[in-house]
Amino acid sequence: MPPILISDSTLRDGNHAVAHQLTAPQIAQYARCADAARVPIVEVGHGNGLGASSLQVGESALTDHEQLRIAREQLSHVKLGVHIIPGFATINKDLAPALALGVDVVRVASHCTEADITQRHIDYTRSQGKEVYGVLMMSHMAPREILVEQALKMESYGAEGVVIMDSAGAYLPVDVAERISALVAALRIPIGFHAHNNLGMSIANSLTAVEHGATIIDGSARGFGAGAGNAQLEVLVAVLMRMGYATGIDHYKLLEAADLAERELIPSLPTISSLSIVSGLAGVFSGFTKHVVRIAQTYQVDPRDVFFELGRRKVVAGQEDIIIEVADTLAKQRKDPA
Amino acid sequence: MTTRCRELIQEDCRLVTTGQPGSLEALRHRTLLITGGTGFVGTWIAELITFLNDTQNLGVRLLLLSSHANDFAAKAPELAARTDIQLIKRDVRGLFEITPEVEYIIHAAGNPDHRMHATDPISTMNVIAQGTGAVLQAALTLPNLRGLLYISSGLVYGQQPWELAQLPESYTGAIAHSSSSACYAEAKRFAEMLCDAYRRQSRLPIVIARPFAFIGPYQLLDRPWAINNFIRDCLMGGPIRILGDGSTVRSYMYPSDMAYWLLRILLDGAIGTCYNVGSPHGISLAKVAERIALYSQKRPEILFNQARESQSSRFVPDTSLASRTLGLHLTVDIDTAIQRTLLWNQARNA
Repeated sequence: MPPILISDSTLRDGNHAVAHQLTAPQIAQYARCADAARVPIVEVGHGNGLGASSLQVGESALTDHEQLRIAREQLSHVKLGVHIIPGFATINKDLAPALALGVDVVRVASHCTEADITQRHIDYTRSQGKEVYGVLMMSHMAPREILVEQALKMESYGAEGVVIMDSAGAYLPVDVAERISALVAALRIPIGFHAHNNLGMSIANSLTAVEHGATIIDGSARGFGAGAGNAQLEVLVAVLMRMGYATGIDHYKLLEAADLAERELIPSLPTISSLSIVSGLAGVFSGFTKHVVRIAQTYQVDPRDVFFELGRRKVVAGQEDIIIEVADTLAKQRKDPA
Repeated sequence: MTTRCRELIQEDCRLVTTGQPGSLEALRHRTLLITGGTGFVGTWIAELITFLNDTQNLGVRLLLLSSHANDFAAKAPELAARTDIQLIKRDVRGLFEITPEVEYIIHAAGNPDHRMHATDPISTMNVIAQGTGAVLQAALTLPNLRGLLYISSGLVYGQQPWELAQLPESYTGAIAHSSSSACYAEAKRFAEMLCDAYRRQSRLPIVIARPFAFIGPYQLLDRPWAINNFIRDCLMGGPIRILGDGSTVRSYMYPSDMAYWLLRILLDGAIGTCYNVGSPHGISLAKVAERIALYSQKRPEILFNQARESQSSRFVPDTSLASRTLGLHLTVDIDTAIQRTLLWNQARNA
């Protein structure tokens, strides 16, 4: 069985769950524990990646530079990773300084049908001799043929692996099997999977991905992440161990890291709330939840209706401003049903 | 470009023409048009021709047609400033007329970068298909056309069977349509067929070259090909990262040999014939990386990305047709090619 490369998104996707307010001591403490546990890649930063701190999607408590510098100081055995979405982040302003700070792994992400926008960022990362992966977000929104086509673009640009994200936690195992199998068959590079737990399927979906050839799997401590959270890392690694897959991770130390995360980072453990279920059913990015709740309250509309309308409109991350328009429209319809 | 870079290329041109005096004599005082003239192939042919103009008074006039002609001065300032070279900025698809002095044409326009193929397959195919049609139609009007060389691609063979050590020109494999490079290869196949149609119907004196893989000066290290990336990784101090277990087999020709072979095929190739152009000596990517590390002062580490079971492939030409009928052979072996490529890039970045 091939080894599984684990990427820990606690300090990145987890930032979504606390409105990007992770503090310097929290980042330092968790990074130190993850380093001790030998988690291969530790992702750090704003939930939407480098350069994303903004009024639109939320301002970080710390700058990208501060977060990366703090984590870098703690990581001596494992790689420091960043998530980057071209559009939020530019090469000169965001990526080049991050690499100069010692980032080892760059995961260049785009919406699942827009891989073209990742070429320059992938090129640049390769030109600097760093590891680079392509990430296709909201992958449930594209059929497998389109996903394969987009992933092939990333491979041609020089990505050393392609990870598909179930950003809305919308997949069932059969969906994962279908997509991962197609990607593994079509690409020469490793394939990865990033789960969300809206429908309670994150571990099952991650294992399905592995069983169908994925060799890169994301997870986060206690599932700390957007919406209903991610695949719970310490559970994921335990199950992979039981199945005989090597991860190179010290599981005792990982359990200690997860305990620390629960104690020091996570104000309320991820649960599959009613809205998370709706978000998964609607196929809307889990990171929208806090915005939807707040805006629905302002406009006095049912947040579930907002989610289903957002799903109908096929919104993607970065289009958070549409939530207001949807809520406003629903409020007007309620006043004037005709 | 630094003086040392110029010296290296001049040495390359001297070496490839040494012992073969007069072999390009038929070009004397001729006018040669190269489409895609500022690309890798065009630039190297320009280097070799201008070397012969300077050292043997060959008197060839070069017309380099390219949509990127304005960038040539930055890439090769010494060539761009020469009086025996005329740069023509034009998209090959818009070529309606060729100056009547032109006696030879090398049609090399087309982008082999598979990132472009994945991102813009329509443009990739249009440049090749429509561009070739435009060149052939314009060539019909030339009163003294002596030869037209079409630069196709070894990719027209499709996937090389692992058990087949070398691909001969007679191999008739099929291109996998699911491959992201299929648009380029299919367009090249179409262009070959179009060339053949013009040869049969309009008696154009066309020969075809099918290039394989190259390594040497002027090759951009940001291109997503394994050996380019290895050299770039090495120049940056490493490590060199290999996708898979390194068992994939490629072969590499040095560009001074490429330029000489292409000119000889243009002048002496049998009309209507296709010739493979490349090195027949296959080498695994693991060994390529080892050699690059060996010849680097920095001795970079070599890492393998083996998260998946390796899918080895082979892409090596049989060049016996060119050797047997035109007497062509390699003057630069893989070790020398790697060493000179490292030297040139180090001098360029100095």
